[in-house]
Amino acid sequence: MKSLSFRDKPLLKRLIAPVVLGVVIAFVPFVFQLSPYVLNIFMQAATYSVAVLGMTVVLGYTGQLNLGQAAFFGIGAYAVGLGTVAIGLNFWISLLLGIGVATVAGFILGLTTLRLGGHYLAMITICFQQIFDLVLVNWMSVTRGPDGIPGIARPSIFGYVLADDRAYLLLCMAVLYATIYFVWRLPQTRTGRAMRAVRENELAAEVTGVDTLRVKVTAFTLSATLAGIGGAFYAAGFAYISPDNFNFAHSIEFLTMVLLGGAQSPFGGAIGTSLLILLPEWLRFLKEVYLAAYGLAVILIMVFLPTGIWGLVRSRMDKYKKPVPIDVDSIPAFDLKITGNDPSPILKLDDLKKHFGGVKAVDGITLEITRGTVHALIGPNGSGKTTLLNVLNGIYKTTSGSVVFEGIDITEKKPHERAALGIGRTFQNIRLFPTMSVVENVMVGAQRGNNSIEAGSEALRECALSALKFVGISDKAELIVQNLPYGHQRLVEIARALAGHPKFLLLDEPAAGLNQTEKKELGDLLKRLRGHGLTVFLIEHDIGLIEQISDKITVLNFGKKIAEGDPAYVLRHPDVIAAYLGETSHATA
Amino acid sequence: MPLLELRDVHSAYGNVQALKGISLHVEQGEIVTLLGANGAGKSTTLRSISGLVPVTSGDILYDGKSILRTVPEEIVRLGVAHVPEGRRIFPGLTVKENIVIGTSARGHIPQAQMESEVEEMYQIFPDLKRLSDSQGWSLSGGEQQMLAFARGLMSKPKLLLLDEPSLGLAPIIVQQLFATIRTIRTRGTTVLLVEQNANMALSVADRGYVLVTGNLTVEGTPAQLLNNEEVRAAYLGGGKRAEAV
Repeated sequence: MKSLSFRDKPLLKRLIAPVVLGVVIAFVPFVFQLSPYVLNIFMQAATYSVAVLGMTVVLGYTGQLNLGQAAFFGIGAYAVGLGTVAIGLNFWISLLLGIGVATVAGFILGLTTLRLGGHYLAMITICFQQIFDLVLVNWMSVTRGPDGIPGIARPSIFGYVLADDRAYLLLCMAVLYATIYFVWRLPQTRTGRAMRAVRENELAAEVTGVDTLRVKVTAFTLSATLAGIGGAFYAAGFAYISPDNFNFAHSIEFLTMVLLGGAQSPFGGAIGTSLLILLPEWLRFLKEVYLAAYGLAVILIMVFLPTGIWGLVRSRMDKYKKPVPIDVDSIPAFDLKITGNDPSPILKLDDLKKHFGGVKAVDGITLEITRGTVHALIGPNGSGKTTLLNVLNGIYKTTSGSVVFEGIDITEKKPHERAALGIGRTFQNIRLFPTMSVVENVMVGAQRGNNSIEAGSEALRECALSALKFVGISDKAELIVQNLPYGHQRLVEIARALAGHPKFLLLDEPAAGLNQTEKKELGDLLKRLRGHGLTVFLIEHDIGLIEQISDKITVLNFGKKIAEGDPAYVLRHPDVIAAYLGETSHATA
Repeated sequence: MPLLELRDVHSAYGNVQALKGISLHVEQGEIVTLLGANGAGKSTTLRSISGLVPVTSGDILYDGKSILRTVPEEIVRLGVAHVPEGRRIFPGLTVKENIVIGTSARGHIPQAQMESEVEEMYQIFPDLKRLSDSQGWSLSGGEQQMLAFARGLMSKPKLLLLDEPSLGLAPIIVQQLFATIRTIRTRGTTVLLVEQNANMALSVADRGYVLVTGNLTVEGTPAQLLNNEEVRAAYLGGGKRAEAV
């Protein structure tokens, strides 16, 4: 199984360089005589970085814009400030309180906002930030208002008070390193992969089986938690906090830090934070033009390094990375795991309607699909074929009528819940996760709910590779999917659906953009799938392909069924010829 | 003098070499088709001509003059229209607005003339007439494809670059579309056509080229290409798959 393992180098070996660098940085203050001022800057960089890594998760990995990170940072800081000074609690208890409050606030804000999608999160987080600021300033009896809280004590560990700046800094660095490690490992986990899928193509992620709302709320909550941790250590480090430290300008600063360093990696976040904190110090000699120079420097980095500083480093490093050879022979054969031959139809539509305002895109379709068959859906452009598929999938809510899958009414179910029942799907205009690798794309498909494979990343990867081998492109597994030619991307999409072991596969124009030879291969693939007992429902315009593979054809026109039956009957039906095929259809198509 | 001539054109996307020395010519009034597998460089050839992909070496002559240093907007003004693959229409504009926008490079056009030209497009694509006031996003995939084609025609191009025009269209529309391509030629438009549907493309073309991984391999009339064993094997679905695919 060696060839199926994740990386070319073992984890420990890859950790050596960063760990050595990290230890060196952490012990700099003990070797060189640094002024308290410089130590303060180090402390600020370390604690800010933890909050910025939260931005890496929510923005960099999941693609959601959070403009209120400073408020969550403030929650952590005020919990420690008020907890230790006003109530007299132990630092560690206050820390846990701060993390708890920040996490709960993040969860509630995320759960209520992320349902709406789009720009709402950005707007609501700005509002939250402003309200938080007003509360800090005006609720004097609790927060002590604009004066802030002085005299916050340093924590102690096993009775040893970390009063020495260097010792406390060491603690902050340890927290930062733990956070970096966690955030660095996250993308390779199930949740992390789902987050990236959401960022790359939310609709495709949902249809593939990712509970996108849950993933987004998880990312946002995690981001709030990290901000809370950073804020708590910040408060104890500086001994004094006031509302000014946690206003909107700081949220923007966190955003700038993560973008500047590179939002895709924790190293980027840490570099961006350190740079934005150190830059003003380096530029101090410029005196009155200092702010202009600072602004200019940030703009220049943003313009010339759109993926951040780490993005540049990464692309340089990737040039020296040798592609991992895939041992195709050692990949186990793919098993669709479809058993039994239940004679009942797998899918039943009863008088299904989908209207958009006055447009009756799907206007009363009643249809039964027999298990283990290839059923084709054809019809003129704009006759409602894709809309019907989107209703079957749950992307659109039905106007009326019902969809019953394997005896279960799924009319009200969300797309990812339908995927968990065994409905797979590909799209007319390919919807992959473009910057992820081929195998990662397919792994997202493999991790749908109820998929009958073993737990763990290795099993997911093995399942994904098997599915890729089944469609014949497992040698491309480690390539970035957007660099593949069109025809191969189509196959990746099919493999992604197959990896979830669907019982029912929806294909929207799978042959579009393929040449005759590739179409023939697709036809053979679909026949093999039918041989495994998979039920396929497909939209296609290539009549040659349809004739070759389909058991039954349904024809739509203006949202209504105009003909149904076996290919020989339907393709000679006068209404179908008039509306769809045209006079010379068989000679040319 | 050919209307369009490519001389040993090389181009690349980032580090990936896409075209490795393409030389071809398209005469005034011809319909020429480019065949080839996915990833062979057909779309890249069209994108190089319309200035969307930088050419690293070689030359592209249009009407006898090099257009290598010419920006895409200017190339459109010279009379080259590119109908891209994949339905790139304006989703927030109505069907009619999308069509009218195709005339942008032609300067001011009187209202009456504009109406009659739009009407001409509706005759070619009757479905678009019905959808005249619908917004672009609400169209089905195939309808968007028709719209992109109509928009390209509105610039009254001397040279029309068509990238996979039949993608996602119902057979009956594909037949109309290829009939339209023949009609366009009688209006004095020269056509360079990229198409997966090789049989269909060769049925309208005067000449064709076959592109394999960035190189031109075969050139000839439709009859010659249809009889070429290699071409049949690789692109017409007969026999074994070619090595280069």
